[in-house]
Amino acid sequence: MDSLIAVDSAAIETQGVTKRFGARTAIDGVDLYVPRGSAFGFLGPNGAGKTTMIRMLLGLTHASAGSMSVLGHPVPAERGAALRRVGAIVEEPRFHPNLSGRENLRIVAAVRGPEVQARIAPALVRVGLAERADEKVKKYSLGMRQRLGVARCLLADPLLLILDEPTNGLDPAGIQQFREMIRTMVEHENRTIFLSSHLLDEVEKICDHAAIVDRGKVIAQGPIAELARGSDGARNELIVGVDDVELALGTLGGSEFVREARRSDEGLRVVLSGEPQSAAQVNASLVRAGVAVVRLEPVRHSLEQRFLEVTSRLEGAPPERSAQAEEVKA
Amino acid sequence: MSAISPTAPAPGGRGADGSPLGIAAQMFGADFLKLRKKRGTLIWALVLAGAPVLIYFVVSVIQHSSDPHKYGPAGGTSNFADGLRVIALFFGPLAALLIGVEAGTGDASAGVFRDLVVTGRARVALFASRVPAALAMCCAVMGTSYGVLLLGTFAFAGNLPTPTGALILNGLGFTLLSTGVLCVVAVGFASLTTSKPASIIALIAWQIVASPLLVSISSLGSARRGLLSQAIAHFSPVHTGNGGHGDTVALSQGTALLVLIAWLALFLALGAWRTAKMDA
Repeated sequence: MDSLIAVDSAAIETQGVTKRFGARTAIDGVDLYVPRGSAFGFLGPNGAGKTTMIRMLLGLTHASAGSMSVLGHPVPAERGAALRRVGAIVEEPRFHPNLSGRENLRIVAAVRGPEVQARIAPALVRVGLAERADEKVKKYSLGMRQRLGVARCLLADPLLLILDEPTNGLDPAGIQQFREMIRTMVEHENRTIFLSSHLLDEVEKICDHAAIVDRGKVIAQGPIAELARGSDGARNELIVGVDDVELALGTLGGSEFVREARRSDEGLRVVLSGEPQSAAQVNASLVRAGVAVVRLEPVRHSLEQRFLEVTSRLEGAPPERSAQAEEVKA
Repeated sequence: MSAISPTAPAPGGRGADGSPLGIAAQMFGADFLKLRKKRGTLIWALVLAGAPVLIYFVVSVIQHSSDPHKYGPAGGTSNFADGLRVIALFFGPLAALLIGVEAGTGDASAGVFRDLVVTGRARVALFASRVPAALAMCCAVMGTSYGVLLLGTFAFAGNLPTPTGALILNGLGFTLLSTGVLCVVAVGFASLTTSKPASIIALIAWQIVASPLLVSISSLGSARRGLLSQAIAHFSPVHTGNGGHGDTVALSQGTALLVLIAWLALFLALGAWRTAKMDA
């Protein structure tokens, strides 16, 4: 079975994973489900336990409790089989500084297996380092090292890429190129990306799914859109522009489709009580009442709002309450 | 039921050529490349292994040319023996320690050990490939140094007898044995500590200070047979001590061999254990 990989399992699945350093619990009973073929953001503030979780997944350190599987293989029991199609950058990418970029890749290729040598040149081309591949790494900028780190990941022809804060050190153009590369890998090459970051914007732009982690606990996980909407997923909110705010408030006050309506700078903020489709009923009610509707726009909840909401909720919460991680089912 | 698909060969399994030996050879090549490109360490190793012999010959040649009646020619069998002691027992081991420590700590100190671990390759295999690479580098450095010794021995022999072929071969074998064993011990010890400065200081202190000191304490009696330096010196083709062979404490051939094996096994096991267990 060593040369075979189960393809319908999750890319990453963990149950109750815990890591303790003495009396301190860095990771506390984390359950993760990373679907294959997705870009999954592992989002949390600095010190939340993101890197520790990644290190356990890669067998760099042992878990104190719980079970993990990577590409269908239990880790650490079948670590070799699990990691053969995994590429990873943990923290900042490190290299032998006195060797060239190409030589550094040769070293990893030698460890991975003879067939990997042929992937070095294409990987260097893909990350845009082909022309400087024979320069010593100590002459590389941080951004170039990041790109060389990605090239090193590509040597595995990875089904799963685990990237820890991958855009650190990249300039805006580099970040944009990186995002495009990740999306290409997911959408056209069916690779899975597990990307840890404290940058909400980055995760929101790159990922389809995410987990929010804080103080070693996963607070929420699921598709980005549902995460942003929050656990009260029915909170479909509209901005409604009308010519007569008072009449509109009076009309919507008794509507079965409206949970809450209030005046706002844009006109009205309306929270629907049902599905997003009930926005049409709201519009019809207003028109029937003789209110001219000039704007009807769903409010887009940002991941940032949600992130601040759930992490600040933990700030004041007692330990018992914060332990109850909430999950948004995909 | 899980659908499965064939993928690239697994690390730890067979390579594209179907040979685990092929993978081992590639890993050896990679580790040798790291050492070869570590210019600072390489230069220092060459200086330590070669410069003392060069200096020895230069001084002897100057002395001989300034007063030929008092000082004999710089080459010949007698000076070969002195030079052999210098490279095999004093400065060569220091060069071997530098190479071994570099091989043992190179990945960790560059921060790339974790990147090798995440390939899925067995950690013990990562450790194991360091040993032949370090030995190969050590042999190359010591071979160069031994070449300088031979060159001086024959070039400056004058009317003195020169070493026989057997002595030359024995000398080479002894030089490689002496430095090779210390190099492997250094790989194991450095992999255990993962600290380059700590390993260099501890091993050089042991080799230069502690080991000769312990040999000189006669009250330790036969316990001194366990010292690596004595076991190595036992195989010297030239006189280096007061024992029956090159050793100061008399050892049988079997005991000397067992002591060498025990030291190698101990430090290889410790290095492998630490490499397998440490957080990367």
